[in-house]
Amino acid sequence: MSTVKKKVIIIGGGTGGAMLANRLPRDEFEVTIIDKQPYNYFWPWLLYIAFRGSRRPIKREIRSVLKPWVNFIQSGVRVVNLQDRYVELENRKRLEYDYVVIATGATVDYSRVPGLDKVTEMFGNYHSNEENAWRVWQTLNGMREGTLAIILAPGAYRCPPSPLEGTFLAEEFFRRRGLRDKVRIVFATFYPRPYPAEPMNELIEPLLKERGIEYITFYTLDHVDPERRVAYSMEGEELKFDAAIVVPPHVGVDIKYVPEDVLDSDRFVQADKFTNRAKGFDDAFVIGDASALPVAKTGVTAHLQAGVVARILQGEDARNTGRTNCPFDVGYGLGTFVISDYNNSTIKYPINRINHLFKVAFAATYWDMILYPELWDPIFEAYFEATEPAKLRYLYR
Amino acid sequence: MDMSQGNRILVDARGIACPGPITEVVKAYRNARNGDLIEVWATDPGFEPDIRAWIQRTGNQLLELRKESDKIVAVIKVTAKK
Repeated sequence: MSTVKKKVIIIGGGTGGAMLANRLPRDEFEVTIIDKQPYNYFWPWLLYIAFRGSRRPIKREIRSVLKPWVNFIQSGVRVVNLQDRYVELENRKRLEYDYVVIATGATVDYSRVPGLDKVTEMFGNYHSNEENAWRVWQTLNGMREGTLAIILAPGAYRCPPSPLEGTFLAEEFFRRRGLRDKVRIVFATFYPRPYPAEPMNELIEPLLKERGIEYITFYTLDHVDPERRVAYSMEGEELKFDAAIVVPPHVGVDIKYVPEDVLDSDRFVQADKFTNRAKGFDDAFVIGDASALPVAKTGVTAHLQAGVVARILQGEDARNTGRTNCPFDVGYGLGTFVISDYNNSTIKYPINRINHLFKVAFAATYWDMILYPELWDPIFEAYFEATEPAKLRYLYR
Repeated sequence: MDMSQGNRILVDARGIACPGPITEVVKAYRNARNGDLIEVWATDPGFEPDIRAWIQRTGNQLLELRKESDKIVAVIKVTAKK
């Protein structure tokens, strides 16, 4: 066996990038993570800053969640040249690779909805950064009456349940403060039903009704007027609000690719849904939110894809199942999970306290799980096996 | 603008599970203008009721909805954008 280690460059030190780096054996691979900033974020916690005012830290240094033998370079990336197999850094230095893994995540693009930048400045959001999440918390605390609109803008977004999680938590916030009869809550989505997947919607829609939350479906947000406080759909339907929290359209990050057509129109990288290989390349992969795959943009996707790519790089014939396991907080200490895979549509998984507590427990293990896959992988494997959608579908109908 | 001069946009949502096809339609719709045609290919059976409901709700026109052996084809004329 050759003693020359294979060079792996991973662009992005988020969930997927860090989990993959820590899984590659040091004897076989020389792994380098590149990230333009020094932190690994636990993005799901923006929800609890925004709607609970949580002060729990949501970031740690990337370096601290990597095995000591993984290299870390803090730098932006200008070019990923898949044809000539190099990554060009901000300082124009070129790094060659045997394998490149794109784990750059997603970013938000306010320019796609006129008025959205101003509305975000006024009321905040919980899909971008801590500052905007704190602004949501201020918005809730400053509201004594009127209409709170939570609007899902058309486009890709992180965490499928998150628009409704925020809606449910806002309802709980106002009810606990005795303001529920004064604050009207409206959820607007471009999907045909409040939760896009039908079986889960059968649990969610009745719950919205029970809690007196109004909802508008097929509402394709076109623009927002921050002064008059009106949102307009593409068909001109007006939604008046006193405060609006909009889930902004997400896009891929601004890196130049060669060839350019590996990107879709939203700058996400096109890939094979089973192997995560970038379209047309054997030695390039894309994992997590950065991919154009029609799968949920969520940590569990990045987590499982990182495991598959780690096995492929070690010569195994591994394939993604498309498994999702998105925690869904519906307020009042209750939750469920959105569980599905490529072969099984979403399960009508029950709402209860233990499912919510699993979400809380996961948050507590997040960075430890990234750093010690050798300890946590067997636990997650057992969990995923016990909750395979092909089994669950016979239990929950 | 002459309404008959619209572009024809193809959306291939085959192999994407419900409600993915609607997400793809909305992506194309966002960039379309009145007069454009959007032709959608989908394989998920949930697409048919969803696209009918979408048409009814948004007021755009459904020119064709047919089942072929390997896919469902919908042709939409964008007419309702303000």
